[in-house]
Amino acid sequence: MNIELSDITRKFSRNVAVDGVTLDAGPGVLGLLGPNGAGKTSLLRMLATILPPSSGQLTLLGRDPRKPADRREIRRRLGYLPQSLGYYPSFTVVEFIEYFALLKEVPPHLVPKAVAAAVEKVDLGPRAKSKLRTLSGGMLRRVGIAQAIVNEPQLALFDEPTAGLDPEQRVAFRALIRDLGQTATVIVSTHLVEDVGAACSEVALMSDGKVVFRGTPQELTARGEAGQGVGDAPLERGYSAILSAARAAS
Amino acid sequence: MTAVALSRGPARVLRIEIRRSVVLWSVPLLLGLFYFDAFRTAAGLPPVWTVRSSAITTHMIADFGPFAAGLAAWVASREGRRKTGDLLATTVRPAWARQASALGATLFWLLLTFLAGVAALYIDVARQATWGGPPLWPVAVGVVEVATFAVIGFTAGALFPGRFTAPLAAIGTFLLAEIGYHAALGVQPGTSTYALLSPSTAVPLGDDGVFYHVAPDLAIAQVMFMGGITIALLGLLTLAPVFRLSYREFWSGVSRVGRWLCVAGVALLAAGVAASWTAFALTGTARLGVSGWIIPALHDAASDQPVPYTPDCAGTSFKVCVHPAFSAYLDAANMALQPVAAEIAGLPGAPVRAGQVASGNGVRNAQGMRIAGLATAGLSGTPPVYTYTSDNPTAPFWGSPGIADTAFWGAGFQQELLTPFITGSNNTLLEGNVPTPAQQAVVTALTTALSPQAQLSQGFINGQSPGRIAAAAERFASLSPATRHAWLATHLPALRAGTITLDQLP
Repeated sequence: MNIELSDITRKFSRNVAVDGVTLDAGPGVLGLLGPNGAGKTSLLRMLATILPPSSGQLTLLGRDPRKPADRREIRRRLGYLPQSLGYYPSFTVVEFIEYFALLKEVPPHLVPKAVAAAVEKVDLGPRAKSKLRTLSGGMLRRVGIAQAIVNEPQLALFDEPTAGLDPEQRVAFRALIRDLGQTATVIVSTHLVEDVGAACSEVALMSDGKVVFRGTPQELTARGEAGQGVGDAPLERGYSAILSAARAAS
Repeated sequence: MTAVALSRGPARVLRIEIRRSVVLWSVPLLLGLFYFDAFRTAAGLPPVWTVRSSAITTHMIADFGPFAAGLAAWVASREGRRKTGDLLATTVRPAWARQASALGATLFWLLLTFLAGVAALYIDVARQATWGGPPLWPVAVGVVEVATFAVIGFTAGALFPGRFTAPLAAIGTFLLAEIGYHAALGVQPGTSTYALLSPSTAVPLGDDGVFYHVAPDLAIAQVMFMGGITIALLGLLTLAPVFRLSYREFWSGVSRVGRWLCVAGVALLAAGVAASWTAFALTGTARLGVSGWIIPALHDAASDQPVPYTPDCAGTSFKVCVHPAFSAYLDAANMALQPVAAEIAGLPGAPVRAGQVASGNGVRNAQGMRIAGLATAGLSGTPPVYTYTSDNPTAPFWGSPGIADTAFWGAGFQQELLTPFITGSNNTLLEGNVPTPAQQAVVTALTTALSPQAQLSQGFINGQSPGRIAAAAERFASLSPATRHAWLATHLPALRAGTITLDQLP
């Protein structure tokens, strides 16, 4: 397993953002669904080794992120796209991706090839030498995705990756993460259930800091057909049915 | 990863940072400031290495320092301003290494621009200087000072990332530099140590480093003090992630940052504070010597020995000599003094030679400050020799050689020679002997006769109205040179004794 979470909790003062989550995942694409404030981003930040958990056991890529040496190894094989991508406007696309490749300690002689491959994967070749300040929001999102995959991560974490992408690019991105999921563990936090249906082999649904559903997209769809879910698409109905049940139980 | 790969990675990060550094945009502004302030100011000073290099510490640091602090704060605060913290936190390289690259790129452009300015300044001096070589201590002080200002700004930007940090850092360091500069203006023994540690204190007298070496003691202390601050701030930056945590998270924070890194941070902080404190304590023992400020623990007594030189001279029967560093003034000095020598030739006590000696030359006023010029300007020896310094009050070599071509400059120089000759006092002002009205009138008359276009001041009024002295001077000046010479040959002893009145002047 690339990810093993056991009873993970994260508190911010009195607010419990993640509440006793137990989860494991191997290679494949795991969709992380949930309403606003469900704890998805906090969970993703813990998986990205940005936040330490308040309690519980976390193992990533077989290592303990609390230990500095292990944390370095995890980060070497980690790709992360935050919800809000910060960037340096004066850098070009290639420089920004190269900068992160070097900070992730990709061997310097492999960096040019890795950067070129990442740029091609997100279809930014024609804008490779453009300054970031000249790019649109969707293009910047693709730059963010490129920096996340430049080190060929074994654990890739994407927080709202398709926000701002046009339909064509969203389709391309889904293909990209499916491809990545062949060998790596990819976790995609999103509000867009169609992304989950198209790209994810598994789904986890969070509500109030807890994982209230874990299964395949087909199982989520089935829950919608069986329950009281509302929505236009089968997955949306499954999503709302599980959330309704979770809220009723709490 | 191999060691080579590990070293190439940071080098490439640094290359990206250098290529995209915000400082690059400020280089034209910094060069413009340098040209209009430091370079032009230096160009107006004598073409003497030590004198012109003082523009590095008095002007260039003030020009570069606040910009260095502001730009470095802007660079350091970008992770907070651009919200890249989360993204960067997932990378392998620690924050200190990332910041080191950003700081390195900032320093690269700042110091490159600073050193380019120094090079331009020194090339200009090299084209005009007639003696000596470029002093390196002012450059070392300047480099360390600019680096310190940059690190102060960088630390402020890293600890308090925000869009107002950069202007506040620039303003704060500007005020700091100004306080230091003003403290240094009134620096004297017993004054605050901070004033001595301000690089502006290195401003030399007109001929420091010419007759005697400039002792590097104070420069060493300044470098140590500023370097200590820089090292301490780098330690603080290393520890910054721990300081941001609450006390409950402190030990887990230490663990996350890395125990050895924390040890290194504490060691840097301690070493920096120790270096600065040592420099402060050493500076407290500073005293003035012939070679400038001396710190006993750092002083090399060999630097107190006079620097050997062969003077440049002009004239035949009456030689006018200058130190070779001031050769640019030789023609003007010769032109000014030869007519005086001719006017008084053959009179008792007339000098046979004029020579430049060191300013101050170890003479101190009541506060212990060196007295520039007055100490050794005068007539002495047998046969008498007129000695003057580079900063005589009315005939200074304290400006570009162009000012030596003016009539006023020449007349002032002539008056400097005539006053001790007519009064018979080796140094009138230092000995407190104010010339009698008749002596004043004769000095003024002779100077006016030699330089009729110069407007001389009546500097020694002593109980007589300026009008009466001026009238007597005019009367005496209107005599033929032969008549004046004959009268002086007869009456000079009485004139020197003060027994001749204004009415007795022909």
